[in-house]
Amino acid sequence: MSAESVFSLRNRWFITAVGITAGLFLLTAVVGLIVLPYAQRDVTFTSIWDAICSAAGVPQVRSSAAPVQPDFKVSTVVVTASMLGQPSQESIGRGATLAQQCAICHGPVGVSRADSPNLAGQYASAIYKQLKDFTSGARVNAIMTPFAVSLSEQDMVDLSAYYAYLPRLPAYHPEQGKPAPRIVVNGAPMRNIAACGSCHGALDNKAGSPWLEGQSAAYIRTQLQAFASGARRNDISQQMRNIARQMTPEEIDEVAQYYASQPPQSRRASSE
Amino acid sequence: MTSSPHIHDDGAAVAARAERRWATLSIVIIVVIAGVAAFAGIHQATMPQVRVETADPTTLHIGGEFVETNLGSAAEPDGTVTVRAIGQRYSFTPQCILVPTDTPITLRATSSDVVHGLLIQGTNVNTMLVPGYVSVLTARFEKPGEHLMPCQEFCSIGHEGMWARVKVIDKAAFMNMTSNRRRLDCVE
Ligand code: HEC
Ligand code: HEC
Ligand SMILES: [Cu+2]
Repeated sequence: MSAESVFSLRNRWFITAVGITAGLFLLTAVVGLIVLPYAQRDVTFTSIWDAICSAAGVPQVRSSAAPVQPDFKVSTVVVTASMLGQPSQESIGRGATLAQQCAICHGPVGVSRADSPNLAGQYASAIYKQLKDFTSGARVNAIMTPFAVSLSEQDMVDLSAYYAYLPRLPAYHPEQGKPAPRIVVNGAPMRNIAACGSCHGALDNKAGSPWLEGQSAAYIRTQLQAFASGARRNDISQQMRNIARQMTPEEIDEVAQYYASQPPQSRRASSE
Repeated sequence: MTSSPHIHDDGAAVAARAERRWATLSIVIIVVIAGVAAFAGIHQATMPQVRVETADPTTLHIGGEFVETNLGSAAEPDGTVTVRAIGQRYSFTPQCILVPTDTPITLRATSSDVVHGLLIQGTNVNTMLVPGYVSVLTARFEKPGEHLMPCQEFCSIGHEGMWARVKVIDKAAFMNMTSNRRRLDCVE
């Protein structure tokens, strides 16, 4: 048999094989694209074409009923793991100049002398997000808001770069005969609380979560209470409210004390 | 084979018979497997999702269907209930999902970061939440009660803390609640 006559209409085997393959193809197409979609309960198709497109995986927009819009300001910041990656020296320098107006509350090198949060070594994404949220009104604070609203987009980027560049307060937890709080180390899995460090930096940093070590106890307690009560709602899709709501008041006190411990030299520096 | 001499006739016939039997057997196997898959697909609802829908994972919180105030259970005009939820490292929002008994439920969920899993214990609800896509499932709960809803897809270091609850309540009580709130959940 020569190759020529294999692919010939006179070859019965050829016709049969091609016929069977084409038949199977058609059958599976009809079953997969039309019969099976229609066999599903709970779905209605506008037309056979709709069924075929759906089965073939063409993305569709479903006209879902009018969403319930928030009656408060939600954060509009798009947070990604790669945001504000590599700041330039110029940006850090500009940030340093701008930061002079912040020093009175946040400290000359970003370590606060009062109960304002420390900013030194804070993740740039966390600073940037909070500044945007103060500006948009998603986070409200009578003292801080006026300073944020006057900042331009570039100012916020530069300030974030500068503060992130400053050396942060290290995690400092001298053994005082007390182990670290359970909730910090392990979270409370059955209450939907992941270990704090899985987002806040000790274990891993989820973009947008701030560094907490060395922050004042009063500040941490107030923020956790605000998340729990819903007074602070700028955390994206409730990720921090979900946690704070499940914490007991004792746990809140415990974590606040735990995170607030600072190395002695930095405490001295900030009280002078 | 065309040039094989007559002595091999017997052998050729045996080979042809064996070949036919094996061919029949393999066709039967294929038909049975395809049949089982089709049966399971149609009768046990193990079909893939009917429609592919997309959602930008980075802007879910800003507006649209998955904005936080629109999450939870919504009573639809046709008597069914739509539940919307998102999975994120390391929680589901809403943290407690409230559904009525004896009502067709459509669950619409997506992820805002990495792949998560959504599994409701004691039911056949089990899907992946893939960032960028909306997972849609239908379900029906016969009895009131509470189910755990863990994330069943390792999503990073806080994964073991990612749980939600599903609370099934009497249909009448549920419908009563919808009269003063458009989206329901059981978060305390
Ligand atoms: C008058 C005092 C004051 C000044 C000046 C001030 N802040 Fe603040 N800032 C605060 C207080 C108080 C808070 C805590 C707000 C709260 O409790 O919600 C805060 C919070 C912040 C936060 C959020 C920190 C976190 O961990 O969530 C950032 C970021 C911030 N300030 C940046 C700045 C920058 C940048 C400037 C300068 C442009 C500035 N602040 C100027 C008082 C001040
Ligand atoms: C899922 C990740 C995640 C986990 C786990 C988590 N947090 Fe947070 N937390 C965040 C994010 C994100 C923010 C910033 C919210 C925002 O965008 O305003 C935040 C903010 C905070 C703040 C406010 C800090 C500030 O400067 O504004 C405190 C305090 C806090 N978390 C404490 C905790 C404690 C204590 C735990 C453990 C019990 C914990 N968090 C677990 C993600 C997490
Ligand atoms: Cu998960």
